[in-house]
Amino acid sequence: MKTPDLTVPALLRGTARRLAGALAVLIGAATVAFAALQLIPGDPVTVMLGPGTAATPEVKAQIRAQYGLDQPVLVQYLHYLGRLATGDLGESYQQQRPVADLIGDQLAPTVELALAAMFLALVSALLAALATAGRRGPARSAGSLAELLAVSSPSYWIGILLLTAFSFQLRIFPVAGDQDLSALVLPAVTLALPLTGVLAQVLREGLETALGQPFTLTARSRGLAPVAVLLRHALRHAAASALTLTGWLTGSLLGGAVLVESVFGRPGIGALSLQGTTSKDMPLVVGLVLLSALVFVTISIAVDLLYLAIDPRLRKR
Amino acid sequence: MARTGPRPLPLLAAVTAGTLLVAGCGSDGTGPAADSASAEPVQGGSLTYATDVEPISFDIHVSQQDVTGAIQRNVFDSLVHQDAKGGFQPWLASSWEIGPDLKSYTFRLRDGVKFTDGTPFDAEAVKVNFDRIVAKETKSQYAAGLLGPYTGTEVIDPHTVKVSFSEPFAPFLQAASTAYLGFYSPKAIKENGAKLGAGGPADVGTGPFVFTGYTKGQSAQFSRNPDYNWAPADAAHQGPAHLDKLTIRFLTEDSVRVGALTSGQVQVADPIPPANVRTVQSDPKLKLLSTDAPGANYALVLNTAKAPLDDPQVRRAVQRGIDLDTDIKSVYFDVYKRAWSPISPTTPDYDRSLENSWPYDKAAAEKALDAAGWTEKDAAGYRTKNGQRLTLEWPLPPAEYVREQRETLGQAIQADLKKIGIEVTRPRLDIGTYIKNVYGGQEHIADYSWARFDPDVLRLYFNSASQPAKGGQNATFYQDQQLDEWTNTGKSTFDKAVRKDVYSKTQQRAVDLSLIVPLYVRTAVVGHSTRVHGLTADPNTWLNFHDAWLGR
Repeated sequence: MKTPDLTVPALLRGTARRLAGALAVLIGAATVAFAALQLIPGDPVTVMLGPGTAATPEVKAQIRAQYGLDQPVLVQYLHYLGRLATGDLGESYQQQRPVADLIGDQLAPTVELALAAMFLALVSALLAALATAGRRGPARSAGSLAELLAVSSPSYWIGILLLTAFSFQLRIFPVAGDQDLSALVLPAVTLALPLTGVLAQVLREGLETALGQPFTLTARSRGLAPVAVLLRHALRHAAASALTLTGWLTGSLLGGAVLVESVFGRPGIGALSLQGTTSKDMPLVVGLVLLSALVFVTISIAVDLLYLAIDPRLRKR
Repeated sequence: MARTGPRPLPLLAAVTAGTLLVAGCGSDGTGPAADSASAEPVQGGSLTYATDVEPISFDIHVSQQDVTGAIQRNVFDSLVHQDAKGGFQPWLASSWEIGPDLKSYTFRLRDGVKFTDGTPFDAEAVKVNFDRIVAKETKSQYAAGLLGPYTGTEVIDPHTVKVSFSEPFAPFLQAASTAYLGFYSPKAIKENGAKLGAGGPADVGTGPFVFTGYTKGQSAQFSRNPDYNWAPADAAHQGPAHLDKLTIRFLTEDSVRVGALTSGQVQVADPIPPANVRTVQSDPKLKLLSTDAPGANYALVLNTAKAPLDDPQVRRAVQRGIDLDTDIKSVYFDVYKRAWSPISPTTPDYDRSLENSWPYDKAAAEKALDAAGWTEKDAAGYRTKNGQRLTLEWPLPPAEYVREQRETLGQAIQADLKKIGIEVTRPRLDIGTYIKNVYGGQEHIADYSWARFDPDVLRLYFNSASQPAKGGQNATFYQDQQLDEWTNTGKSTFDKAVRKDVYSKTQQRAVDLSLIVPLYVRTAVVGHSTRVHGLTADPNTWLNFHDAWLGR
């Protein structure tokens, strides 16, 4: 691939622009998270302790003072941004540990699960799309039906179904945990299934569009085998739209992981998010919001850069 | 968030002291499961126990969660032990004396008790722990409240301590028996004081198990404390636990937890939801243990300060106009029992005479409404008076705070009351507004339960000083001299006859005045493999694994 217009300064400028945008998104997310928490009706400490607490007003006042919740909102906001700027996410109200530590401890199993699911989804979507693109007949219909089912079934339900079949009945896989690879299989499949469905549909559509283009005819007339046309030419075209989607889906894996992790009793961000939101642990929730913003921003930058590699036409701009 | 049915929220659910929560677990609370008494316990083995709620903080001095106390009970011992009848037995304290003014308690500590890091358990350890609980930086959400008007602990000699209070404090022995006033090794507090909430090996106690590891979202692991030799006298055996290892798995989904039990991947699952009870019952390899939770039953608490519930006739109509036997049977399949008193049958001084004293009586309910002047009916069939419809507002908190299918039971209650012409509305409120309205006396009806192994819970519910705005639980907002006097008397005496008398009268008066409509007795239902023997529950319905063993 020649890259005549891809100069180093241009690349740097592009990257700098994207990083500035990313920073703006992060500050925006932090601000929205802060505002949302201010808008929760009721006194934050009361909400945090929940109904049915035996905490006296004195204890509540003490907690309020210790977290600076008795200060004006603007002061709280500036303090909050200041702390974030120094990388300090604060301390969890409920667990009384630094939020950064809590998230750090739980990140690895979720990343492992998300990567495994993404890998599974990409490979199976690619295989399904290549096998069915441009074909007619029962194989194609069966493929479409399977995709539709995978896309429209809630992952929560898929998880229970898989567990019932493969863990409770057949007893092939353990119910949960991250003890070894066998425990990763069911959660990864659960998380991957809906992604596979979406990706396979988009890929096949892209492939079929590309196969209808004049360049396909040219390639075929040069004597290239249909498989070679599919892999070498059509796939590159189809990949662009699938890539955008993959970026978005990878981000959404984080949300999916929350559900899947709690169904399977796996450690990870899911367990943390569940606890953080149900106990209204604001610093923890803010930390998790920032984490997902960071993931989305990073992925969208990565996807932008990947486009440049896939589609030479984009490099001219 | 995953909505998974009627399970408690971590926080809420937990509030031991209170709560609305499923405590957990339990056998009959009086001794070993029946079949195990005959067999010789097997030493060793590893038991896995699945539960639905994961502790947010493992720090017993900080957490208000029920599950924290239930799990950490295996790691931490208390000064005294409360037996199944509500009496107090020696544990880490071999004896005690209570000052005549109930302002001081002097404990003689047991000799030879060691923390699992080798530190001796002594008077200094008691002082360090109690002082830590009340220290501001601990931010205790529950234990500090248990210490009440604590002023300090005095080390009299290495094995004698005196705990003092600024005013008479009779509930202290009960408080001292809970896991929340358990003891960390002073060395652990010094070295890891800020990290005790994270669980794992930093949590060093004197209990039958050592906390060896914790993986958030997955499991907590414990191993036997080989030196343990100070179980309460009513334990099935003295000496170390039978099990080598205990693993607690956190499986929040009901179907997954039950599936893990039926497929043999865990040996104990808690709780088993009413809808799954039959599955477990019909499996020859599984058994059920049901224990009634102590404390206040799940009940409708009627706000007597808000019209029309300020009229006792209207309250009576609500109380008698609900077909509770039918409603509870249809929602809970005979797993939960209908309640008759504000407190549950396992709570000390429960008044049995209330049973069957206020059955469903539609005619009586209608007569009471007629007498109260709600005689007209509007187009929708609801009663009216002076053109005003008879409407009661009973708000719903956000779904994640509702457990045990209470919303379904609520629909049955709405339907029953509609039949006698009362409209019940159930707006869904966000939690901030819910707390503000209910605690502020803005709503007609509130619904909650309060787990506590002490009839003093009646004071929380019916003493006029127990205002919701000040951390109390009296959402009836009723001011009654007799209820105040009786519950205050009960709080400040150890005289059993006096307590029985005042608490019986309190239960009867609360029902007679229709301040409350007790609905059902919360029951902890645990499923376990028939290989598990000797599983017992303490009065809180928490499982005790010290006496448990696995058959071959």
